[in-house]
Amino acid sequence: MYKLLLSWRYLKTRFIALASIISVTLGVATLIVVNSVMAGFVDQMKSRLHGILSDIEVSAPILGEIKSPNQRMALIRNVVGDDLENITAVVRTPALLTFDFENKPRTQQIMLLGIDDDTFGKVTDFEPYLTNEIKKTAFSFNLENDGYGDRFEPGESGWPYRRRRIEQRRHYKKLIEEQERLFQQTSDSYFDERGRLQQNSLPLNTGEIQASYENKDGLHIQPPVQQAFDQQPSSPTPAAEAGFQFIPLPDQAPDLGVAHDSKNAESNSADTNPADAFAGQVGNIVSDGQGGTYQLMMPIDPHAKYNPIDEEELFDPMRSQHTGIILGIAISERKYMAENGDLKNVYMVRPGDDANIMLTTIGTNARPVLANCTVVDYYASNMHEYDSSFAFVPLSELQRLRGMIDPLSGEGSVSTIQIKLKEGADLDLVRDKLIAQFPPDMYNDFDIRTWEDTQRPLLAAVSMELTILNILLFLIIAVAGFGILATFYMIVVEKTKDIGILKALGAPSQGVMSIFLGYGMSLGSVGTGVGIILGLVFVSYINEIADWIGKLTGQEIFDPTIYYFSEIPTIVNPFTVVWVGLGAIAIAVLASVLPALRAARLHPVEALRYE
Amino acid sequence: MSDVARQSVRMQESLARSKKSPGAPLRIATTNAMSVSNLHKSYRKGKLEVPVLKGVDLEIVEGDFTAIVGQSGSGKSTLLHLLGTLDAPDSGEIHFQEGRIDNLPPRKQEHLRNSEFGMIFQFYHLLPELTTLENVLIPRMVRDGFFTYLRNKRKYKKRATELLEMVGMGHRLTHKPNQLSGGEMQRTAIARSLISEPSVLLADEPTGNLDSENGREVMDTLTALRKNENLTVVMVTHDNALAAKADRVINLVNGKVAVE
Repeated sequence: MYKLLLSWRYLKTRFIALASIISVTLGVATLIVVNSVMAGFVDQMKSRLHGILSDIEVSAPILGEIKSPNQRMALIRNVVGDDLENITAVVRTPALLTFDFENKPRTQQIMLLGIDDDTFGKVTDFEPYLTNEIKKTAFSFNLENDGYGDRFEPGESGWPYRRRRIEQRRHYKKLIEEQERLFQQTSDSYFDERGRLQQNSLPLNTGEIQASYENKDGLHIQPPVQQAFDQQPSSPTPAAEAGFQFIPLPDQAPDLGVAHDSKNAESNSADTNPADAFAGQVGNIVSDGQGGTYQLMMPIDPHAKYNPIDEEELFDPMRSQHTGIILGIAISERKYMAENGDLKNVYMVRPGDDANIMLTTIGTNARPVLANCTVVDYYASNMHEYDSSFAFVPLSELQRLRGMIDPLSGEGSVSTIQIKLKEGADLDLVRDKLIAQFPPDMYNDFDIRTWEDTQRPLLAAVSMELTILNILLFLIIAVAGFGILATFYMIVVEKTKDIGILKALGAPSQGVMSIFLGYGMSLGSVGTGVGIILGLVFVSYINEIADWIGKLTGQEIFDPTIYYFSEIPTIVNPFTVVWVGLGAIAIAVLASVLPALRAARLHPVEALRYE
Repeated sequence: MSDVARQSVRMQESLARSKKSPGAPLRIATTNAMSVSNLHKSYRKGKLEVPVLKGVDLEIVEGDFTAIVGQSGSGKSTLLHLLGTLDAPDSGEIHFQEGRIDNLPPRKQEHLRNSEFGMIFQFYHLLPELTTLENVLIPRMVRDGFFTYLRNKRKYKKRATELLEMVGMGHRLTHKPNQLSGGEMQRTAIARSLISEPSVLLADEPTGNLDSENGREVMDTLTALRKNENLTVVMVTHDNALAAKADRVINLVNGKVAVE
């Protein structure tokens, strides 16, 4: 009884001892916060990693192919049996994406995925990560009128944006054209009928200049800069002027052209309409959902020369789109800190903009292929690795572009087969079964992996990070333990006389010892309890706290431009909390053992004599 | 009626209630409560061995008020500590009620200190974190286990209050030692020494730190106790005037009992 009473009284009267366990409190709070945040991160990361990766992948090496995928998929269905939830085939290839931003072309390396509209979303968490509300429920590669969320002002994305942009460009082009025409009219006055300079205004080499500037009409000179765009009209003819509306911008993507090119219209007037001839090759007319049609502009034959100019003839960008492409949001998005400290986003290429992709055909004689596409949506998984590199196009288009379609059977090969298993299925077991089915010595270029295998380096690194962090933080608590030891030693010295009194009154040594052990334990418990409460409160308000610290220091603690999480994710694991608490109390008790032993060993007479 | 007289009346009433055998004779003159034979004790100061007791022989008669007097350094405090088993002698024997106690195992010595000996010190030695009442209750807490104590708590508290009232501290139950005067502290210490109903009271200069007024009150309390209770009192003092109040005075000179 006296042990409890005295422990309690010492606790109440020795606040300095409480100070000594503030380090325990802080250590416990830190451990809880760090573990919760790390657990939150790992959980988010895993679900996102898993989301796009599917449970198991059977993949060919990069730029390789799996031939006759239907047969393989049937085999896989057979092997996996009841565990199978769904299966899909994917073509995956590195590609270059080029788009215009601020009238300058930007090129970026991407990982292009050809996906199957029907099954891909059933194998991976693809559709929930799309930004367009319509596509989340009814997926297609069509550009939508709206539904692109609050990233953009109304009318700044989708079809309205596309139409407005094209309108603007045509208008701008018209202005330039007008300027050119004026310039040419002015320059005409310097030449005579034969194209020679009048009044001898240029003294030297007039003949050469004349020759070089003479076009086939023999009358007009064009500004040198115009020659760089040899596909553009060099001069308006009377015929063209009558029907002329718009001329493409010199620096815009070539396919963004207008339906009526004055020069082509003139030069082709005698021939059959090239548009008619071309339409037969391209085909694939798709409804754009607004009552019109658009044509997929990827040529059927990948070996055919890609000629953007010809396509312009068929293609009205006001009503039509190219093949839809869904871009990882980080490809387009640039975040920056505005002057007032707000985070701003710039979208370099929006739903409705056109872009073009360059990739290679399959096989040993790989050649580059260029194709146009229209951005129809973003993919925002919040995994920066994916968001900054992935782009999705329809599987059949990509197979066609890369020449993966078998000319005999008409079946396209793929590069990856992705498998989703039923809830609770043993991934490793199924993977091993699949490896047995496709043994490495026969199909030695097949790589069969679970999503965890694929992300193992990352997962292992994170888990090691967590372990080391825990060890380090526990060392902090251990350091706190030495602080407790020193403080307790002082208290024992201070209480020497009391110990003598208790012994003189017949208290046994272990009784005296347990006073100080109990003291240590109560201090540890108080410190740990406060630490746990502090930690949990910190965790639940972590975003507010991060904001506040960010405002205070001017340094953003949790920078969404880096992490792509809008909030710090946290998960409090009750077991971790209990373990941390028990560990901290144990350290406090251990630290009080030595002082308590000293107290127990004190000689009563000497203790009583102590002043 | 003086304060002291009133106290002794209270004391009588209180002791009469708690007495095991109220009708027992006050003195059994022939029984020795404690006896000491050829006691040696020396302290080590570095390499130097300082002998304090050099063969002390004495008997303490049950029910007697024995005073041990001597100069500073004569070893009287050491002798009292040895009697109270707070320290162990180098050689010699100490007997208490027919049994040798200096070589008992620690557990038994602790029990003796707790239940048979009441100790009073010059510097009172109260626990500063506890109230007067709690200080008095400490020996009970030490003796009983947690649950035994809780069961008997009310009884003990009543008894402690009685004792405190007896020594004139009834109005100071919840005060901490630092709020008390020296005399009050010493009276609290006396109450503490009585809570476990000891048979021997060992007092080490109980008035040594008090002014003459308080010292006299403490002395009166002690003598009254001894008279009203079959209590053996051993008091160490350097004050011959105080010692004169005792039944018997033992003079300690240079670590030996001087011949009377």
